[in-house]
Amino acid sequence: MSSSASFRHSIRRGLSALFAASIPLYTGGWIGGHQSTFDAKGPVAASQLDLFYVTLWVTGIIFVLVAAVLAYATLKFKARNEADEHAEPPPQGHGNPLVELGLIGASVVALVFIAVPTLEAIWYTYDVPDDRRDQTYEVTAVGYQWWFKFEYPNEQIDGAGPLVTANELVIPAGRPVRVNLRTIDVIHSFWVPKLAGKVDMIPNRGNHLWLQADEPGYFWGQCAEFCGQSHAVMRFRVIALNEADFAAWTANQKKDARAVETTASADAAPRAQFAGFRVNEAGWSPEFDANPLDNWVQKQFPEKSENPALIAEGRRLFVEKACAGCHNIRGHEGVGITGPDLTHMGSRTTIAAGLLENTTRNLYRWISEPHHVKPGNKMWVGGYTDRETGNRILELTSEDVSALVAYLESLK
Amino acid sequence: MDALVKSNFIGKEEHAGVEKRSWLFTRPTAKTGIVSWLTTVDHKRVGLLYGISSLFFFLVGGFEAILIRLQLAVPNNTLLTAQQYNEMFTMHGTTMIFLAVMPLSAAFFNYIMPLQIGARDVAFPRLNGFAFWVFLVGAIILNVGWFVKSGAPDVGWFGYAPLTSTAYSSQFAGDMSTDLWVMGLQVLGVSSIIGSLNFIVTIINLRAPGMTMMRLPVFTWMTLFTAFLIILSFPAITIALVELMMDRSFGTSFFEVSGGGLPILWQHLFWVFGHPEVYILILPAMGIISEILPTFSRKPLFGYPIVVFSGAAIGFLGFGVWSHHMFTTGMGTVATAAFAVATMAIAVPTGVKIFNWIGTLWGGHLMMRTPMMFALGFVWLFMFGGFSGIMHSAAPADAQQQDSYFVVAHFHYVLIGGSIFALLAGIHYWFPLIFGRTVSEFWGKLSFWVIFVGFNVTFFPMHFLGLNGMPRRTFTYDGNMGWNNANMWATVGALILAVGICIYFAVMVYTYFKGQKSSRDPWDGRTLEWSIPNPPPEYNFAVTPTVHARDAFWYEKNNKEEIAREKAAKAKIDEAHGGVHMPSQSWFPIITASGILIGGLFFTNHIMLGAIAGGVVVFFGAWMWALEGPGGYHVHPNESDDDSSQGHGPKH
Amino acid sequence: MSSHAGAGTIDHHHDPSTTTGIPNKKLFMWAFLASDCMFFGTLISTHLIYRLHPPAGSPDPRDFFSIELTSFSTFILLMSSLLMALAVNAIQKGNVKSTRKMLLGTIIFGLIFLACQVYEFSHFVHAYELTLSSSLFGSTFYTLTGTHGVHVAIGVLWLVLMYIRSFKPTVANTNRPWVLVSLAHLAVWVASVVLGMYVMLELTHAVLDGKVGAFFGANFLPLAGFLAAIGILFAFGRDRGEVEFGEANAIDVESMGLYWHFVDIVWIVIFPVVYLLEYVFLS
Repeated sequence: MSSSASFRHSIRRGLSALFAASIPLYTGGWIGGHQSTFDAKGPVAASQLDLFYVTLWVTGIIFVLVAAVLAYATLKFKARNEADEHAEPPPQGHGNPLVELGLIGASVVALVFIAVPTLEAIWYTYDVPDDRRDQTYEVTAVGYQWWFKFEYPNEQIDGAGPLVTANELVIPAGRPVRVNLRTIDVIHSFWVPKLAGKVDMIPNRGNHLWLQADEPGYFWGQCAEFCGQSHAVMRFRVIALNEADFAAWTANQKKDARAVETTASADAAPRAQFAGFRVNEAGWSPEFDANPLDNWVQKQFPEKSENPALIAEGRRLFVEKACAGCHNIRGHEGVGITGPDLTHMGSRTTIAAGLLENTTRNLYRWISEPHHVKPGNKMWVGGYTDRETGNRILELTSEDVSALVAYLESLK
Repeated sequence: MDALVKSNFIGKEEHAGVEKRSWLFTRPTAKTGIVSWLTTVDHKRVGLLYGISSLFFFLVGGFEAILIRLQLAVPNNTLLTAQQYNEMFTMHGTTMIFLAVMPLSAAFFNYIMPLQIGARDVAFPRLNGFAFWVFLVGAIILNVGWFVKSGAPDVGWFGYAPLTSTAYSSQFAGDMSTDLWVMGLQVLGVSSIIGSLNFIVTIINLRAPGMTMMRLPVFTWMTLFTAFLIILSFPAITIALVELMMDRSFGTSFFEVSGGGLPILWQHLFWVFGHPEVYILILPAMGIISEILPTFSRKPLFGYPIVVFSGAAIGFLGFGVWSHHMFTTGMGTVATAAFAVATMAIAVPTGVKIFNWIGTLWGGHLMMRTPMMFALGFVWLFMFGGFSGIMHSAAPADAQQQDSYFVVAHFHYVLIGGSIFALLAGIHYWFPLIFGRTVSEFWGKLSFWVIFVGFNVTFFPMHFLGLNGMPRRTFTYDGNMGWNNANMWATVGALILAVGICIYFAVMVYTYFKGQKSSRDPWDGRTLEWSIPNPPPEYNFAVTPTVHARDAFWYEKNNKEEIAREKAAKAKIDEAHGGVHMPSQSWFPIITASGILIGGLFFTNHIMLGAIAGGVVVFFGAWMWALEGPGGYHVHPNESDDDSSQGHGPKH
Repeated sequence: MSSHAGAGTIDHHHDPSTTTGIPNKKLFMWAFLASDCMFFGTLISTHLIYRLHPPAGSPDPRDFFSIELTSFSTFILLMSSLLMALAVNAIQKGNVKSTRKMLLGTIIFGLIFLACQVYEFSHFVHAYELTLSSSLFGSTFYTLTGTHGVHVAIGVLWLVLMYIRSFKPTVANTNRPWVLVSLAHLAVWVASVVLGMYVMLELTHAVLDGKVGAFFGANFLPLAGFLAAIGILFAFGRDRGEVEFGEANAIDVESMGLYWHFVDIVWIVIFPVVYLLEYVFLS
């Protein structure tokens, strides 16, 4: 064997070793994340994942078999040189019906292995199983361009109808939750990958899905049907709580918005000031992601540093700057219904439909430059600017914004 | 046999050439220069026109893809705005499907199919030219948005209602980007249907003597199936688009929610078209592969009848599985189960084709030339894409995959790994025939490997992106979702793929001008297109061939004396009938098509007088077209052109 | 040669120049009609889906459908198919004059059908305020029957063009500017059809309102124009020597006939599905 041949041999061995080493990259490094379907946290997602593995195994085995034959045929019958190509053509055979029929039969059998669990899962994932129907908790999710409204028909508030929140769906853990899916404009799709596959929200059509979070947890979700300009940033969260926490949460949510009393003037109040925002700037932090559920719990309590005077000014501006026309703040002045309900906005972990972590800086940025956060959103188009001409019709000073931020943060 | 050369029932055009005609009906006769191309009725020239324009749009669509991948290379990128990104992916999809893959397939239908069945042209040569010009009109209307204030269409390539209604798709008053999309697709539909009717008649009626249906080359079979799929599926989308257009322009409420319209109806109508469309894109590719593999394995296709019938089965079942695109629309258990099982069933005829291709390789003498490399690449990648397709048929699992990057990965494996690889293989394979020059093996193989590697680096990670929950059609994502690595890889891969495509086309352009002259029948071909000189003469066959076997040219090469006797006899008969009859060129196809362009553009701008003017041009063109008649003239091929002395084996 | 081959010299059932013996034009038309089936299939499906899921406040079509009128126009359309078949038969025997008569008959019956539809539409719009945009029923009804009407109109146009073409002189007989003559001929046709439709609709309204006397005074000019156009058409229709049109064009007439029969059959589907079904299932 010449030295060049052995050199090629060692190269080849090195390459195959490299490939072996890269396998964890595929299986370990690339699987996971906040919306990974590989990490099922409830029975619906688990049944879908199991079915995926069935299809993966069946197709994987067929792939290995067929690919082996294909690779063998390619290597074995390859012409080695020019002379080989010019050699007398091989026997001109036209096929073998028995082989064909056998392979057709085998394919059908392989598909039956997929079909049976598929049919089972279709019925299982469609609706809450009969034996668990009495434990079911029901919510209604409504898609808007580009945010989600959540209604709790079981949690009626005197004189105000059902409890309404936005963009963060809080559910009881360990119980089936049936989500009615509605939309008022275009088609959206409700998808929390760790809890359940998506189902579309379609106008003039009543859809639903069911899901269950086995343990309390904090889950990432996102609109999965292209719904216009800012489809990519139409996101939401699902927070699953144990029964007691859930009861406490609903009790608090049913209350009117929290009022902060003061007589002081806001003139001298320290105001948060931010500048230098970038378009489409990231709004998440590793600190939050490290322990999202605990961070959610923290959000339920008033900030120690809050400034009553500034909050009062914000409350006044909320009306003066016409925010109240689109946003409802139950018990306060907000009456609008076209935008998300903000009654307990300060207790949410995210703003702008699950896009930005609910921090003072992010809220400041969202209020001062909504179009740089979520292009085409209705707060900007029609709120801050004229829908027809595009001219700016609402101006906010940085003082205004910081007061509004303080007010909204106080709504726990 | 002279009858075969006439595309018309009655031999009226026999004397057409001598008739005294008004200037309006003076037929153009230029054989070179711009006029010869504008007025051409030659199926080969029409094929080249399709080919050149579809490759242009392929590069445009590829450029859009590169911008998409650059935007997604890193989280929270701002290379494109949300609006620009939406326009980019809408036009990328629409362009690649309607302006790149379909017309590139049509280019091969036009150029190769008549040669494979031993015909001298298609059944309606002027209509064939018209189909091309109408295609170009549709392509212009679709893309005109880039150059006006409206911007390009931005509703996604399947334009789900009610996003397409005036209430949601218009960023500002007078935004007509969606109108352009609607009009463009309608015009393209007209072009496709006209072209397909022509192919159907050609394949059924213009076969050479002895070319029975079960001797048709598989590529011709797939042309026929594709043409049937087009004429039966495009009406659904055309009507849906008409209804949408009426919603937008005349206040109807087919898909208007406020008037009681059901947006889900759009999805059904769209996918009744859209799923057969998938097979419209892949069947021609399968046909090309079924030509290349036998040629380079030097043995006949394994299980020819089963390959043909599985093509028919795929086409037929393709009409019964459309709702698997709608598994997440809440169809209910029974409908979901039915469409899931039907979708699994369609995997069987598809799998059969793969088995037969492997069977073709088995026991052959595989010549590893560039077309063969692309064809084998096709088999691998299409198989891979097919398996992720089977995964989608498991509807509950699909609920996690639908509209995620997993789907994006799947359909790029079948549409690039499938359709595009086959079309690139086809270009390499037939290049020596069409241009008479041979492409360098080194550069061809290099481009193959770069494209193959680039493709997999781009799209393999997308499976993981999708299963990790990244939805498609998103212009941005956050860095904490676990999608950064895969997205970066995909972008790097896309750039590699782009380099590969550039090498591929640079080599083609170089070869066209400077390449080594090719010998006749360089691959030791099996079908009739290789029996003629390259590049082919205008009349294709000096003497209409008589077909004795399925691989007609292979038989000719093995029975030279018999064929020579036959040809000599037939040549005499031809000459007794005045030579080879050729159809005359005509101005009216392009004039009629220009009327559609005028009318379409005015209509989208809601200038009805202009739209009517366009209609008048269409009417005038069509009326003059009818009055001028098919026309025709005779040529007398030089016998020595058709010297069919052939040896086995490729020559270089 | 072309024009006046004697009767029966062409085999109209087998074309030796094609593989199957079916003329290309005929095969083309069959394939096109298969495609057209899908067009109408989609439209009819849309209509039926919205009749099954009517939005609140949909009108009841029985309030304004006139089954008598629609039955009459259905009958007329069926009879036009008979005349079309006779035209094909005549041209296959090389009888150009008889072909022209049958074509004219088909055209007139087609126009009567169209006039009924125009009357129906205008009646629905004016008496019941049913428009494209007034309700989803209006949208689907007008789009479906309107598309069919457009098919009939295209058929009539085609018939008229075929009729005009039958006057194209032979090469030997060509001392007139044929293209201009044909366009003028067509223009007079269009004028007479438009004026005729208008006059007939006015007359119908006048008869229904019992004001026939006033009709002549109010519509003197259109009526005179219509009669003049008819007169000119007669002039165009005079025999002017040898024409190119003949038995060799049988395939053109036959393809057109296929189209015409198809449009007729589509109406045979639309009439029960759109009109009669309302009385069967919903009453």
